[in-house]
Amino acid sequence: MTTAALEVTDLTVAYGDKPVLWDVDVEVPVGTLTAIVGPNGAGKTTLLRSILGLVKPAAGQALVLGRPYREQRRLVAYVPQRGSVDWDFPTDVRDVVLMGRYGRIGWVRRPGRRDREAADEALRQLGIEHLASRQISQLSGGQQQRVFLARALVQEAELYLMDEPFQGVDATTELAIVELLRALREHGKTIVCVHHDLQTVAEYFDRVVLLNVRTVAAGTVEEVFTEENLRLAYGGRSAAFGRRNGP
Amino acid sequence: MTSGQLEIIAIASLTSAACALVGVFLVLRRMSLVSDAITHSVLLGIVLAFFVTQSTTSPLLLVAAALTGVVTVALVELVTRTRLVREDAAIGLVFPVLFSIGVILVSRYAGSVHLDIDTVLLGELAFAPFDRVHVGGVDLGPAALVTMAVVLAVDVAALTLFWKELKLTTFDPALALSLGLAPTAVTYGLMSLVSLTAVGAFNAVGSILTVALMVAPPAAAYLLSDRLWRVTLLAAAIGVGCAVAGYWLAFVLDASIAGCIAACCGAAFALAWAFAPGRGILAGARRRARQRVDFALAMLAIHLATHEGRPEAEEESRLDRLGAHLRWDEGRIAHVVAAAQRRGLVVEQAGVLALTERGRRLARQAITF
Repeated sequence: MTTAALEVTDLTVAYGDKPVLWDVDVEVPVGTLTAIVGPNGAGKTTLLRSILGLVKPAAGQALVLGRPYREQRRLVAYVPQRGSVDWDFPTDVRDVVLMGRYGRIGWVRRPGRRDREAADEALRQLGIEHLASRQISQLSGGQQQRVFLARALVQEAELYLMDEPFQGVDATTELAIVELLRALREHGKTIVCVHHDLQTVAEYFDRVVLLNVRTVAAGTVEEVFTEENLRLAYGGRSAAFGRRNGP
Repeated sequence: MTSGQLEIIAIASLTSAACALVGVFLVLRRMSLVSDAITHSVLLGIVLAFFVTQSTTSPLLLVAAALTGVVTVALVELVTRTRLVREDAAIGLVFPVLFSIGVILVSRYAGSVHLDIDTVLLGELAFAPFDRVHVGGVDLGPAALVTMAVVLAVDVAALTLFWKELKLTTFDPALALSLGLAPTAVTYGLMSLVSLTAVGAFNAVGSILTVALMVAPPAAAYLLSDRLWRVTLLAAAIGVGCAVAGYWLAFVLDASIAGCIAACCGAAFALAWAFAPGRGILAGARRRARQRVDFALAMLAIHLATHEGRPEAEEESRLDRLGAHLRWDEGRIAHVVAAAQRRGLVVEQAGVLALTERGRRLARQAITF
């Protein structure tokens, strides 16, 4: 059996004595597009953050390509929610994208020509090269999301963890992001997204993890993404799903 | 100008520049109040180091004070992490405790030496040139000047070396952590710099006004520029400008130098706040006024386009009837129509307005949005 891109085992995270994640197991094969889906407060963001060591788990661990995350940092790129940073920060788009290279560059050293080329290439891939020297406070929501994705691209990672990359972006950007994610998958990369829109799960993703504090179900979209499992994950709120799919 | 005056101006300038450089990162991290805490609590470090060295000029004082600053930040974080109080309350709890211990120690044991509370709180620049450093019989200049030159050099070196790390941990600490660029270590490094700078600034302006130097010039620079390196250089330049202007103001008014420098910092911020292109309030008011005119023009164009080529067109487009239809007063009608004519959106013929091609385009664009 080949090594999973991401293997989360028995992960429990609690704030105080209130569990946010209870004994969660997730396995993500290499070269797949996985959605993490669940109601508000299901612990989706916490799952990503604890994989990245931003939150300390009470139990369990996350392995990236078979080894603890701490040893594999270089191989993981994280795309946080747009609201997680101050967009009034005095800098421009190219500079934010370059920040993705800082890990490779290392302490004290300056970004070199190769880093700048990688940043320009990522800007081109996201179709925002014309925004390169734009102050970041002047970006639309979709443009901000593209900047974050470009910043993740320059990390040249193997595993991409994205927190709601489609949140609040326009339709054009959503399509562009989907194209990008598929291109990454073609290159053997693995993508895990926290995702909100149940209607697009089957169209955009290969696999899905239904999360509600515990893992409700995980596997391919065909196997797992069923009305029954959704009701389990969303509880009484699954009615909302039925209505959205209805006439 | 005497050499004493020049020396005072030099001390004030170096202090302002050093404070502004580290202050930029405090302001951007929304940690401005931490400067308040550190500038007070370092007193404890200075007093303790004074007891050990029995000297007010020993470099150990700087080191001890810097350590106290770091301890302050650590304590604030500790109290915040209990989640019983918020960060602002934690700051308000921690630094008065440390500061008061310092004050008690000074008043109880060091009353007879050159370490008095007034100097600590307000500084005394006017006497700075009398306290000089001699090495091997050579006069290196006032002690405060030498100290601040060293502090500024350390600040500049640290900012240059760790520029990228400081920027990233300020903008996105989570990314910094996931890239392995230890944001906590960078933060404590920055706090050490702030502490070191604060101790140096004691001599010049005292602990209270150090806060003004650390917050006002960076806040003004932030309004004036949108690139971090420019904000940083501008903050230092504003700081130096305030130091020089403040000195002369004090000279003219025969008042406290430190007070005048801090007043200039406040004035510099007020000027930036009012006149900054883009972010200043005047620019904002102008932008809103322009938007109001643009919106009125769009309304006029849409009104004319809606009725264009229909039987009621003449009635709806007559200059003297527009007021009745749009419910605008005469003054506003005249103003908007004049603006529309200037921009070639409408033409007037015998008291009736007609859209030009450009006017029709505007109406179409306004509606489709």
